[in-house]
Amino acid sequence: MKLRYGTGEHEVELLGFDADAIHVRIDGRELAATLDPLADGGAILAFDSRRFRILGARRKGAITVAVGSSNYDFVSVEPGTRSGRRGLAAPEITAPMPGKVLRVMVKEGDAVTAGQTLVVLEAMKMETSLAAESAATVKRVLVSEGEMVDHGAVLVELSPAAPAGPSDSQGEREAR
Amino acid sequence: MRARKFKKLLIANRGEIALRIIRTARMTGLKTVAIYSEADARSTHVAAADDARLVGPAEASKSYLNIAAIIAAAKDSGADAIHPGYGFLSERAEFVRAVDAAGLIFVGPRAEVMAQLGDKISARKIATQASVPVVPGIETADLRAAREFGASAGYPILVKAAAGGGGRGMRVVESAANLGDALETAAHEAESAFGDGRLFIEKYLARPRHVEIQVLGDEHGTVAALGERDCSIQRRHQKLVEESPAPNFTQTTRDAMIDAATRMAQAAGYTNAGTVEFLLDGSAFYFLEVNARLQVEHPITEIRFGCDLVAEQLKIAMGERLGAISDPRGCALECRINAEDPGRGFSPATGAVIQLRTPGGPGVRFDTHLAQGVEVGAYYDGLLGKLICSGATREEVRRRMISALDELAIVGVTNTAGFLREVIASDAFARAELSTRFLEEHFPTGPHHDSERDTAALIAAALVAKDRLGSRDPQESDGARDSIEHSPWTEMPKFELWRTR
Repeated sequence: MKLRYGTGEHEVELLGFDADAIHVRIDGRELAATLDPLADGGAILAFDSRRFRILGARRKGAITVAVGSSNYDFVSVEPGTRSGRRGLAAPEITAPMPGKVLRVMVKEGDAVTAGQTLVVLEAMKMETSLAAESAATVKRVLVSEGEMVDHGAVLVELSPAAPAGPSDSQGEREAR
Repeated sequence: MRARKFKKLLIANRGEIALRIIRTARMTGLKTVAIYSEADARSTHVAAADDARLVGPAEASKSYLNIAAIIAAAKDSGADAIHPGYGFLSERAEFVRAVDAAGLIFVGPRAEVMAQLGDKISARKIATQASVPVVPGIETADLRAAREFGASAGYPILVKAAAGGGGRGMRVVESAANLGDALETAAHEAESAFGDGRLFIEKYLARPRHVEIQVLGDEHGTVAALGERDCSIQRRHQKLVEESPAPNFTQTTRDAMIDAATRMAQAAGYTNAGTVEFLLDGSAFYFLEVNARLQVEHPITEIRFGCDLVAEQLKIAMGERLGAISDPRGCALECRINAEDPGRGFSPATGAVIQLRTPGGPGVRFDTHLAQGVEVGAYYDGLLGKLICSGATREEVRRRMISALDELAIVGVTNTAGFLREVIASDAFARAELSTRFLEEHFPTGPHHDSERDTAALIAAALVAKDRLGSRDPQESDGARDSIEHSPWTEMPKFELWRTR
């Protein structure tokens, strides 16, 4: 299975268990580790002379684990569902953290330039400006000011920037 | 107004601090009333109190900041005193006035004292009059005046809200070119956070330490200082690790700072618990602000002085005289466990606690409102708990903290515990090389990469995916799943050889 953590993707395969060990293949590399279950639903996982206390659970379509006191949130990536959209570095502007939409700086149809602020979020007592990664046209604005949003919520959808000229932006609209 | 005895205390707060105050109030024989928002109806502090009142919807401005609803809750429940905790309304003079007007006792300083100290400009004035040193600075939101100040004081300079604290509206400006943008953003944050867009600009000290003095003042004019706390390890001006005593702090400087804090509190006519914050630069220190309330990090002072600061607050509010303060003993260290993802720039995390493993043992205290199933949302501050360790020496306490952090696990809410373990275990922390730039200098990209731990995490995730590890999110299941009968370990023979796909 393919697991994504942050920006990294890893291929993990459980090859099997035997009397002493669990066998896995991670990104092509095989590894044997000992796995001793614990009463709390967790386990002790040991390999390469390191010993880790692991806990884990499913959570809203994701998998969350704790190794010692460190947390990891994984998303299982199904083969073939990776975003194939081209033309834009980021076709959707999503909330990097849960918070409140403080300001929406654009409206549908606006042409934006790379680095232009689209939405300002307030979270953790700080304002965070979310900007377009490349020149684009605002396709949809999905939030309004004052709204609370969760981590990963789509705030603004972008379509590739239309070359200069009113006829071209018209063409973009028709293409929808 | 002379304070008097009260019998029923309303705690105008939530989370760990509400629980902490309820514990002491019950210990002293008071009845307690919790308040809660719609998002917190099933919270720990609601269960711990004798009585609880709904004060509004999830949004803090309509619940925990809703003065009218909170006063009504106090009246309705028969409470005769209100403890504000920290954050929320704890430093709003208008709240104190409303409590007074309702004929209730406010556990904290008087409204006019709070108003004076809450305003950075008038607080500086009091400090200057009391011969307490202050950092050079001016109040202005005007670009030209700010430029002039920057040119004379030298960059970097700090732009911050004249009202309030806690890092909101604070910006470090490295050069005159960035000043205009910084003024605009800071004014906006100050306006939205405190309803007051006034700004204060001061010289930014490059590598200061943050050291603060705990004070207690009674209604009879006595002020006592309960030593210092070093809170230098901060991120975005928010404290993450606090310790007492401050390491590498000479008795001469300590005495001078305690003296200055006491003068400040006396000059302000301060009553109840408060903290005088300083920036320490070498052996020179400068007054920063007074926090006119109980601090998050108060437990490390309690441990060293063998006292209960909430109990002291209640006694003072009842008009009792301050008793003798014992001499401090040993060392104490606190780590704030926040719902933030250190691997993603400390962005806030949300979720429900699926599993909780808490540390224990001698010298370990964990102040938390967490329990399995407790939801951590985006509405409030993400403090999950405070892990406090104590012992005879700093090194003993440091090792105890590492061990306690190893025991702690909060599954379901990504948090800073793992990162703080790295911080506490680092050589720089062991050598007490403390400054407010500690994290920037030693952990510029957040947690250090540990490829073996990452591998362990991947294996754990794969085991969860195959139902061979762990429990389910209580938000997803109906809770009927019997953990013993349906344990992944009993469902499958352990030594079965099997393959994916």
